[in-house]
Amino acid sequence: MNSPAGQNMRPFAPRYPQLGTGPVPVSSAVDPAFFELERERIFRGMWVNLILREADLPSPGDYFVRYLEAQDASILVVRGDDGRLRAFHNVCTHRGNQVAEDGAGHCKGFQCNFHGWTFDTRGRLAFVTDEQRFHNLDKSALGLPAVHLDTWRGFIFVNLAKRPAQTLELAMAEFNQDLKPFPFEQMVLAGRYRYTVNANWKVTMNAFQESYHGAFVHKLSVGQCISPEDPYLAVQRIKLQENGNQSVSVHLAPHPLSPAEKLAFGFGATFTQGGDAAQAFPGTAQAQVRDWGFDLNIIFPYSRINVGAGWYYVDAFWPVAHDQTVYELAYYFPMPQRPSEMISQEYSKIVLRDLSREDLATNEATHRSLRSGAIRQMNLSDQEIAVRHLYHTVSARCGKELAK
Amino acid sequence: MSTAIALPKPFTHLESWLSFALPSEDARMRRRLSASMDELLGLYKALVGEMPAIAAHLDQWPLVELPAEQKPLLYLALSFMESAMAVEAFHQPGPPHATTPESMVVFPGRAEQMLSRG
Repeated sequence: MNSPAGQNMRPFAPRYPQLGTGPVPVSSAVDPAFFELERERIFRGMWVNLILREADLPSPGDYFVRYLEAQDASILVVRGDDGRLRAFHNVCTHRGNQVAEDGAGHCKGFQCNFHGWTFDTRGRLAFVTDEQRFHNLDKSALGLPAVHLDTWRGFIFVNLAKRPAQTLELAMAEFNQDLKPFPFEQMVLAGRYRYTVNANWKVTMNAFQESYHGAFVHKLSVGQCISPEDPYLAVQRIKLQENGNQSVSVHLAPHPLSPAEKLAFGFGATFTQGGDAAQAFPGTAQAQVRDWGFDLNIIFPYSRINVGAGWYYVDAFWPVAHDQTVYELAYYFPMPQRPSEMISQEYSKIVLRDLSREDLATNEATHRSLRSGAIRQMNLSDQEIAVRHLYHTVSARCGKELAK
Repeated sequence: MSTAIALPKPFTHLESWLSFALPSEDARMRRRLSASMDELLGLYKALVGEMPAIAAHLDQWPLVELPAEQKPLLYLALSFMESAMAVEAFHQPGPPHATTPESMVVFPGRAEQMLSRG
């Protein structure tokens, strides 16, 4: 197991013996019927991270609407005139039309454009057009259908189950200790990106769960962060949680800075420079990882809150169909006080955007190949144990346990 | 396409690059990806030595108070970062193996929104 240099080459598998070490079947990534099973057993009952902050809806009447393909539901989040955030199905209780369009805005209430039924910011039915012609209408029972909403450190989550199987606090599990102290409230949205990817959501995620691919997929974009002593960026810290949550720490080798990188680092934290050893970043694995760069924190099944040295990004691999995913990423930095800080942040945003485009291109090619049926299983190294863990957790939830 | 009409002193000599001084990240990304490598290399070389002076000049103002006539210079500096990835990393406008720009949407962050309102 040990390399000639005495380094333990496969440290993670012994910690998670329940995952085994054998090849992993790929059928769950290409089978449309399996996607329907995931919809039923996983997506409909999960806490959905909307990639939305409480601070995005600061005032009464501020609202946000998003169609969730995996749950096949349009969700409306609104801050009521009493200051409380609530979530509803975006469905008029008259005949089912939508009361608001996708996007964000500010309103006094929601008027259905089919027949003008109107709901207030607390979701209550406030007005029925030509009400006297209805029979025994109980308006008090005809508010917008409510959806469970909860927040974790300012992030807004919804759950479409009638009665969620667990609280959001429980679903966050060990992130309540490991991630909670990160200073999210000190940062604001620096950029948001949405990519349509022709690949299964798990295939899309898989490229983001290890750093082994970095030496190949990202050899031009961040090759400077890879040292000859550690040519495959071997991950030092992986923490897999029983409920499917994961944390994978990525490190970045100290390197000579390019002119643009040097300029960026001169005016703030960067994506490629890693942490300033002198500055502590609470809520991260900085102290546990040599040359720590950032932590990828996966909230099962498909969203992440990734934290770095003075920045974070939240992303989701929104499942659309068995062969289509929308990858959405929101990048947060401290609000730039001076123009130079904005120039600095632009560098990190561009690097991360180019990296994402490289990863997603690989996903599409992989999905096409898997669909062909040419290979039936994947062969995963110890470095790819988070990929293995995802397939095991998903399969177990769908009642199709994988062999060890 | 650009609302920029001029660069402030003492950077007027960079005005031949004004077509890169675009107010949104989305527009700057698409400008970069549709540019030739010669053009990006020209932009990079013209700005790389000037960037510290540009940053120092712009830092005379807090970002929220940046005068309208200074904004094109900031937007050009942001495009410099686009050209830097092309020149320093890829030796071509974008990553050689990447999803198409048509399959993605770039939304503004808080700072960009604030600047475009002001």
